[in-house]
Parts: sequence; structure tokens; C-alpha cells
Amino acid sequence: MNRFLTPSRLTWLHRANPSLKLAVLIILFIVTVQTRSIDFAVYQAAVYIAVLFLFSGYPAWKVSLLVLSFSLVFVSSSLTMILFGKGDHVWWQWGLFRVSEESFYRGLHLGFRAIAFAAEGLLFVMTTPSVKLFYSLMQNFRLPPKFAYSFMASIRLLSIVWEEFLIRRQALRIRGVRTGRGLSGLLEHVRLYAVPLLSQSIRRAHRVAVAMEAKQFSGSGRRTYYYPSAFSRYDGLAVLMFVIALAAAYYAAAAVPWFGIEDVRYHGQG
Amino acid sequence: MNSSTMQLDRPKGLKLSDLLVTILLSLVIGVVYHFWGSVNDLFKPLFFQADELMYGMWFLASTLAALLIRKPGVALLAEVAAAHVEILFGSEWGLQLAIYGVAQGLAAELIFALFRYRKFSMGVAALAGMASGLGSFLVDVYYGYVTDYTTWMIVFKYVMRLISSAVLAGYLAYALTKALEATGVTQLLRPVTAKDYEALDHD
Repeated sequence: MNRFLTPSRLTWLHRANPSLKLAVLIILFIVTVQTRSIDFAVYQAAVYIAVLFLFSGYPAWKVSLLVLSFSLVFVSSSLTMILFGKGDHVWWQWGLFRVSEESFYRGLHLGFRAIAFAAEGLLFVMTTPSVKLFYSLMQNFRLPPKFAYSFMASIRLLSIVWEEFLIRRQALRIRGVRTGRGLSGLLEHVRLYAVPLLSQSIRRAHRVAVAMEAKQFSGSGRRTYYYPSAFSRYDGLAVLMFVIALAAAYYAAAAVPWFGIEDVRYHGQG
Repeated sequence: MNSSTMQLDRPKGLKLSDLLVTILLSLVIGVVYHFWGSVNDLFKPLFFQADELMYGMWFLASTLAALLIRKPGVALLAEVAAAHVEILFGSEWGLQLAIYGVAQGLAAELIFALFRYRKFSMGVAALAGMASGLGSFLVDVYYGYVTDYTTWMIVFKYVMRLISSAVLAGYLAYALTKALEATGVTQLLRPVTAKDYEALDHD
């Protein structure tokens, strides 16, 4: 899909089974959601970022760029809670803003947790091409082929929709169509672009679907697959690595706590 | 043959063409939202919580697909597919959005199911959009401790979100559906109804 997101080398993590990787990462995701201790959240974020650097197969500068973008994730996840969260030990108040000790740490916790989620998500996205995921889901998790092939075909059709958008824009420009500014201009944009592009997408998708049905892509019988997907020793390795990573984060949080707050949720009155 | 037995002959569930149309529509909307979101991120510090006013865009995919295709399961699938765009683009929010997508899609699906997939008006679409908004609130509570915001902030944030859901997923989706109906493409999609068979009988 995106040239930026093409790895420079394939690591063993790329070879692990995509559905298994997805399952493991969803479990890790749930562990992160359940995390209430701020230290554990910090170390989870750190550990998964370390895994990204080590095993994602991308050059360090690219991973660094992505990790830098986490700072935006951190700010947007934490700021509202820091400024407007509940709390009793008020540090600073100005108008509607009200920063208290509790809200501050709760905000930091949310920020670090968001970074952990982002790293987990990227670990999956950066090591798994979409096509492989759908082939694996069909073969290992019995996803009906019509769903998988619809997704894969739609992803290919997207680039045609983009091309049509460009053509539409040029056609409108060459006819000197001007839209107003502000809200009415926005609505006019919707009318000029959304309806032709959507109706054309529907027509094309329908046509492609009829062709695919004729070729039995919707069939429910036994079928063969162009990309066979199986389990291998890399799967064991991947599971082991993620278990070690999580355990490392847990013990590091117990051994070297930075904040020492076990539960950041609000329990007081008010 | 009378119309009721004709209806039973129709294969139940979603056909490949329903799936493909739903998913492609949702991906297109997901892409629009993705680029809109990147612009939005830059203005975020200027207009406080302004992103909530656009939040309903997320639910547009499911109500639009449901209004167009009018079959069970479409709303949920559309929402999951729209969330999938963020995974495709390697967004930092990818996995989280998949969870949100499932919750929001299920909520919208529930509303259409309550009307037994018979009523596809603007009001139902707006209700479905607001249900999705509520679904996203539940995930927020679990995931972001939003009930730990000061009370006025909770109300402010989620009232804006509900309004935006009703307008974008309700009004906009309905308007788009009407416009698409005028182009004639919806005839490709919708299941044949008893009314269509009656029209044949009277000929």
C-alpha cells in the first residue's frame, strides 16, 4: 500500500503466522487496557518500542520517526485528562482548567498507555502484509473466503477510486467550476465529489463482485490457496519473545518504579 | 407464484457483491476520514475539542452502507472495514480503532435490527449514528477513564459527539443515499421486495 511501510529486511517476526500474531497482540492489548499502574504502563511502552527497533526489519531512522510521532499520541491522549480530570489535590487552577495531582498522573498514565498501544499496533502492521493476514485468517481461522476476498479486492479497488478522484478534480478545474468558501463550499464539495465517486465505486464493486462470483470466489466448498499459510517454529519464537517482553516490563515496574502509583483511577469524593 | 414464496427463494445472508460494495464504500469513507483527521490534528490545539464535531464521520460508513444495502450485518461490517483503513495506513491508532469499530458497528446494527431491517429513514439512521456514539462512549469509559473527567467536560464532549453523530451519520448519510438513488446504482444492491413482485403481478 505504502512504500514507506515496506520493510528493508524480513525478520523472523515477518515469518510468524499472521493470525497467531494478531491473537497474541490482542491479548497484549487487553493486558495493556487492564493496566492501572503507571509504572507498568511506562515499561510496557518502553519494551514494545525496543521490540520495534530490534525485530521490525525497518531501518532505525524510520522507526525513530514513527516513535517520534508517538509524542503527538502522548499529548493528545493525556492533555484533556490532565487539564480537566477529577482530583482533590489541586496544583493549579485557571478558569476552566484545573490540574490536580490525581488528574496529572492519570493523564500521564493514559499517555504512556497510548504509546504502548501504538507500539503494539505498529508491531503488527509493520510485520504483516494485509494479503497474508487474510489468507491466514481463511486457512487457519476459517474466515469465509467471501469476506477475505472482498477485503482484498476492495483494497486493490481503492487506488482506482483515487485515480477517479484526480480525474474528477481535473475535469472540474478545466470547466472552471468554483466552490464557495466556508460551510456552503464544503457542502458543494461533497455534492461535486462524493456522489459521482461513490456511485462509480458501487458500480465497479458490483461488477467485480459478479465476476468473482462467476469464478466461485464466494464458494463454500474445499478450495486451494495461492499463498499457503501454516504454523512454524517462528510462531513459537514469536510467542516466547512477547511473553518475555511482557514479563520484563512487569518485573522492571516492580523493581524500578518511577512513580509508585498502583491505581490511577479516581476514588475520592467529588 | 405468490410473493411470499418468492421471497423465501432468495438466498439469505450477504452475497459477495453486498460485501464488496460495503467494504469498498467503507474504505473510501475511511480514507477520507484519515486525511481529514491529519488536517484536524494540526488544528486541534487551536479549536478545543473541535474534533468531536467531526466524530460522526466515523459512523457515516455504517449508516450509509445500511441505508444503501438494507441487509442485516452490513452496518457492523462497514464499521470494521472503515477501521481497517487505519491498520492499512499503519496508523498509531490501528488496533484501538478496530475495537472501537466493533463496538460502534454493533450499536448501529442493533438499532437497524430493532426496526427489523424494514425502516431506513433519516430518523432511524440518526438513531443508529447516536447509538454508535454511545458505543464509542462505552469503550471510552473502559479504555480512557472518561468518567474521571470533570462533569461539565463529560457532558460537553459527548453532547457534541451525539449531535455530530445525528447530523453526519443521520442527515448526511440520508442525503447521500437519496442522491445515489437518483443515479440508479441502488437498484443493483437492494434485495427484491414483495412490492417489486406485486408490480409484476399487476402487469
